Amino acid sequence: MLASQISKKKLKENKSFSLRHKISNHNGTGHFKSYFAPWFDEKENVIGTIIQTDNITAEVEKEHQVEWLQNILETKVEVSKTGWWEFEIATEQLTWCKETKRIHHVPDCFEPTTAEAIEFFKPGYSRNKVSMLFHKAIENQQSYDTNLMIITFNGEERWVRITGKPYVENGNTVKVFGTIRDIHDEVMAENKVKEHQQLLSTLVDSLPLNVYVKDLESRKILINKGESHYINKSKEEIIGKNDFDIYNEDTAKISREEDIQVMKHLTPIIGKETAITHNGKTTHFLTSKIPYFDLDGKVCGLIGMSLDISSIKKKEGELRDLIKITSMQNQKLIDFAHIVSHNLRSHSANFSMLLEFLKSENDPTERERITKMLSQASDNLLETLENLNQVVDVNTNTSVTKKPLFLKQNIVKVLQNFSAFLNKYDSQIINHVAEDIKVECVPAYLDSIILNLISNAVKYRSPIRKPLIIINAVKSKEGVLLSISDNGLGIDLEKYGDKIFGMYKTFHNKEDSKGFGLYLVKNQIEAMGGSITVQSDVDRGTTFNVYFNEES
Amino acid sequence: MKKVSCIFIVDDDPITVFGIKKMLKSVTKCDDVQIFQNGKEAYDALLERHESNKTIPDVIFLDINMPIMDGWDFLDELIILDLKEHIIINMITSSIDPLDHQKWSSFKDRCPYILNFKNKPIFKIEATDLGLMDMAS
Repeated sequence: MLASQISKKKLKENKSFSLRHKISNHNGTGHFKSYFAPWFDEKENVIGTIIQTDNITAEVEKEHQVEWLQNILETKVEVSKTGWWEFEIATEQLTWCKETKRIHHVPDCFEPTTAEAIEFFKPGYSRNKVSMLFHKAIENQQSYDTNLMIITFNGEERWVRITGKPYVENGNTVKVFGTIRDIHDEVMAENKVKEHQQLLSTLVDSLPLNVYVKDLESRKILINKGESHYINKSKEEIIGKNDFDIYNEDTAKISREEDIQVMKHLTPIIGKETAITHNGKTTHFLTSKIPYFDLDGKVCGLIGMSLDISSIKKKEGELRDLIKITSMQNQKLIDFAHIVSHNLRSHSANFSMLLEFLKSENDPTERERITKMLSQASDNLLETLENLNQVVDVNTNTSVTKKPLFLKQNIVKVLQNFSAFLNKYDSQIINHVAEDIKVECVPAYLDSIILNLISNAVKYRSPIRKPLIIINAVKSKEGVLLSISDNGLGIDLEKYGDKIFGMYKTFHNKEDSKGFGLYLVKNQIEAMGGSITVQSDVDRGTTFNVYFNEES
Repeated sequence: MKKVSCIFIVDDDPITVFGIKKMLKSVTKCDDVQIFQNGKEAYDALLERHESNKTIPDVIFLDINMPIMDGWDFLDELIILDLKEHIIINMITSSIDPLDHQKWSSFKDRCPYILNFKNKPIFKIEATDLGLMDMAS
């Protein structure tokens, strides 16, 4: 209706005009353009109107499409914050879109020249690079897409992603156009992530720990240098493998059970002592395993950390040995104190008592008896002193040197020396010791050890059996084990076990028992770094095992 | 002279035994003085006397360090036996080890008999050592 009013008005003015209009019917909508021109007679009087109507449907639709595309482009620019620019080679005209200007922090009215545009790039790498790329795009018709740094109009340094593409006509570059996008925040965020990753991986790799991350199937999905070094395989070889692929069955089983416990019950294992044998070497670890959660808070594996404490363990063992030695030496000291406080005192007490008696005794026969006892007490004192001297010798004489001695040869020598004693009791001795077995020993001590053990075997013989003594020696990695077994009285070890090697301890009513031989033997063996143990059954016999330590 | 019916001397040192016997002579008269080399012998004899209702010793002189069964082990057995008779036990030792003294004092608390501790040398046996105090006063 509006159109017809306008046309009436125009027609009254006798002027030509055109009009766009559309007609809708059941065939769809058509666009038309009509030209109105006044129709004159010869006298220039308007006698009518000449109307020419063209169908412009196709044109209008194309216009709409262009409009639509323009719209899309603007939306895209807005949403993606990607600006565009173009450079006309013939006119050297550079055009920036609004977004491009916004990225450069310049006002909308700013119209840059090429030189100015390039000046926005940070001096150095960014500026050189963009110059080169722009030049190549024109000369070599090469497209580009790269990240560079600009300094905006406000002086801010920002990362941008720029692209450029030549537009070629008949083999000549006529235009270069491209895009620019501010990616500064992304780059910074990415750098931060990279920095964090770098920090984390440096940290994890430099920890003096074996660190690994396992998935729900106990497959290793991440390991640090320590773990890779311990397993003795590269990271690539280990990733994706489970413990069964790496360790032996038993170790893997234990580890998998721990993993399941951690991941199923979400209870971490903290600082558990474990021993793992890998490639034939046992390592002691302080192991911790903690559940690993994904971003949704669901368990997706575990993080494991193992601290190698083998050297600490070794030191602990050494310390324990040292404590053992110290307490043993302490025991010896106590024994000594006891000997001094008891054995020596008992003699001196006897002297005092007897002398006191003598003072007031007038009966000559009684006086003679007391005097006899005094000399007996004196003999006893001398013997005790001699014993003490021997023990002190063994424990303080560090200068005595050990020599390699043939065990069998020495046993035979000792047996010969007291064959009279052995024959007296009809003793049978079976010497199974091999000719070639050698022990590192102080010669006098070895003689004393053999003599005491064999003479004890005969001394404490059974009243109903003839003494039978069997001597054996076994060589092993730790040293030589000498065992001397008899068929004698035996001893109730449950009752006397802790006293058998004690000083002045005797367990049988024998005139010649002093309770000194085994004490001396033990001291001699221990002074040479060995040890002695005993096994016995009452009325069956006794076996003494002497361990000669090869190392010390 | 006060009389004691039975005395046990348990000691493996003949000189000490000689001394005790000699000193006893000057304080009491006793017809039944028994000597034992170790605790086991003394215990066996005591048990035999107890079971056959014979005289149980009034006084026991007991050494600590002896073979087979020492003084402490003998005391243990004697405590288990829990005799109704009044017995005075004189522990005689040359030990000045404080541990032995401590041990004695712990035994004294749980021993139903009178338990004395005497360090050697001894030069005289007192009437009190034989439980003759009341008669003297």
